[in-house]
Amino acid sequence: MADEKVINNVAAPVYDDEALAAEYQAKRQKQIEEDFKKPIDPDCVLEVRHLRKCFPIKKTVTGKVTKELVAVDDVSFKLKAGETLGIVGESGCGKTTAGRAILKLHQPTGGQIIFDGKDITNYKPKQMREIRKQMQIIFQDPYSSLPPRDTVGGILSEPVEVHKIVPKDQVKDYVLDLMDKCGLRDYYFERYPHEFSGGQRQRICIARALSVNPKLVICDEPVSALDVSIQAQIINLLKKLQREMNLAYVFISHDLSVVKFISDKILVMYLGAVMEFGTKEDIFTNPMHPYTKALFSAVPNPDPTTKMDRIKLEGDIPSPANPPKGCRFHTRCPYAKEVCKHITPDYKEYEPGHFAACHLLEKQD
Amino acid sequence: MAKQNTAKNYLSGKEIRAIAKANAKEMKRLEAYKNRKADESEFLTQMKKQENILEIEDLHTFFYTEQGIVKAVNGVSYDVPKNAVVGVVGESGCGKSVTSMSVMRLIQGPTGQIVDGSIRFVSNEYKRDEKGNPIPKAGAEGEYEMVEKVYDIAKMPINEIHRIRGKQIAMIFQEPMTSLNPVFTIGQQLDEVTLLHVPGATKEMAKAKSEEMLRLVGIIPENVYKAFPHELSGGMRQRVMIAMALAAEPRLIIADEPTTALDVTIQAQILDLLQDIKDKIDGSILLITHDLGVIAEMADYVVVMYAGKVIEKGTVYEIFQDPKHPYTIGLQKSKPTMSLDDSTELYNIPGNVPNPINMPAHCYFKERCAKCTAKCSGEYPGMVQVSPTHFVACHLYDEENNNG
Repeated sequence: MADEKVINNVAAPVYDDEALAAEYQAKRQKQIEEDFKKPIDPDCVLEVRHLRKCFPIKKTVTGKVTKELVAVDDVSFKLKAGETLGIVGESGCGKTTAGRAILKLHQPTGGQIIFDGKDITNYKPKQMREIRKQMQIIFQDPYSSLPPRDTVGGILSEPVEVHKIVPKDQVKDYVLDLMDKCGLRDYYFERYPHEFSGGQRQRICIARALSVNPKLVICDEPVSALDVSIQAQIINLLKKLQREMNLAYVFISHDLSVVKFISDKILVMYLGAVMEFGTKEDIFTNPMHPYTKALFSAVPNPDPTTKMDRIKLEGDIPSPANPPKGCRFHTRCPYAKEVCKHITPDYKEYEPGHFAACHLLEKQD
Repeated sequence: MAKQNTAKNYLSGKEIRAIAKANAKEMKRLEAYKNRKADESEFLTQMKKQENILEIEDLHTFFYTEQGIVKAVNGVSYDVPKNAVVGVVGESGCGKSVTSMSVMRLIQGPTGQIVDGSIRFVSNEYKRDEKGNPIPKAGAEGEYEMVEKVYDIAKMPINEIHRIRGKQIAMIFQEPMTSLNPVFTIGQQLDEVTLLHVPGATKEMAKAKSEEMLRLVGIIPENVYKAFPHELSGGMRQRVMIAMALAAEPRLIIADEPTTALDVTIQAQILDLLQDIKDKIDGSILLITHDLGVIAEMADYVVVMYAGKVIEKGTVYEIFQDPKHPYTIGLQKSKPTMSLDDSTELYNIPGNVPNPINMPAHCYFKERCAKCTAKCSGEYPGMVQVSPTHFVACHLYDEENNNG
């Protein structure tokens, strides 16, 4: 402690940003190669290793990419059947891109996606077709994700017919059974999407996703467009269906209270990178990363008697096209130190099953 | 429920034409009333309670559509006291925004019309001479004589509304991107407010005022004054909207879902800012939102709306600690909170809001209510007073009131 003080008085430590970045890259590359060689865990429905997705934002005339936006940087997690992984973060943090990259709606730039024991990262579209019926997505906006010119019956029968889930003559019975499960009445079969309210449409979207008996469903903000009283109905329905069909969910949301209610594990993202990962109990009772703490304290509490002590975050999220050097969060972090501005913190396991990336935690050890 | 669904759910061409004809007549009458020339005495009135700044009484705002009349606001009454934050909460389509739009007279005609009711507002404006010029205050440079007038906004002709719109009542809209003009800089848009509302304002004065307002909302003016709206982030845009609303020093700010489009960390910043500003300008805020958490943190009084009616109103403690109406209770129980035990199933209100065109004669919440009794099939319940400040529209409390 005394030594540090003396050093600080003499001169602040000098950081060579480029060398540090190169060192970090090399270290990470080694880590990634090591992790890729690890055997596949047969218990997991989905295993994501070091997922990375970049979008080109500047190209030369010849088509060479000169600048990239790293939307998802190094996301890893495992998910078992019947479990829910919640991904939380502010807008622009890459949570939706991560969800889409897992489904290969975006081809990932790097990393591995292991679904049901198979590495599907480099599958061709034709090979993906077989996998598609096992992984489905529910979109945020139920108003724009249903075809307006098809009836509910048509919308729900199409995937069943395409993927040949049941023989042709049993399709209608199958769909009616499914509609009953999702809380839709049988006479809705002949109706069109515009005749329904938001909550009912979201039920149709859920029924469509479940029509092919998937193992994994990505829920991309399924309740954010709905009213509070309808939100509760949809969350309960999702939980009920998970119990009945042993589904694995990846639940993407910016609403922490909803994520807490439905998830088993939680992944906190900021500007494309994972800040913290752990079980729900870990994250909510013992949040380690300052960003997670700030995020929790920003949620308004519907109880007028308790006024919360907020950890205030100053400023806005930096542009993902130009993320800050060092720790991405240092520009808004109330506890940021000199080291945070230059060195990217390692993503480490601080407690069993509880990962975080922050320099402040290392000091405590 | 089943009966409603088996009924035919479309209108024939003949029926639509009949509705359109009836609507056209009604809309023409209301439009003429809106555009009439009227003497000031016609819309001057008195407040019922002196401590209020805004009193909405029995307001009816209807939309004349081809499917029928949508009674978006159907007999709404509530007050906004001076120096208070009143939160209006309800689901989408319950008429909370239409009420605030009616106060600003921004309802899009000829389809939307204020049909009945009164909106009384205490306006503090310049005393004017016969020519309409403000009278300068003796002995004070740049200051003018002020006078308090009570206007009935619902009865004002539309060309008189500039007396209060923007100057006395300002509005912060939900979507900051669409409510800022993309072809003008932030500075130009902010200056316009001062140039319009302050008599004898010069460009330099306007710029000084705009920069002061930007500082007030926590923006460094040098970076933003010459920027265009698309160069700013969502939180910054909302700050600019707030600065714009404050520039004319209004007595009442209507914030229509000011944080819905923003992230939680930015939302916390904006809510803190609104709280600060309320104290600084010594005015009132009418906060419209569907987020119960925001209401609990911000509001002093709460109004709960459902399907175009006020179903409960009271202080924030009464509404959150002792809610009376089954809808308010259900709404609070169905919101997942951070402290909730998540092993149980989340409470939910079954069903949906009824169709706004064919509202039943009985309580609108009857089909979704777990506590409904035989009495609920009767006429719509009136407002029952539970405590001096707490009112509820539900038959469950009728008897209690009669017995006590």
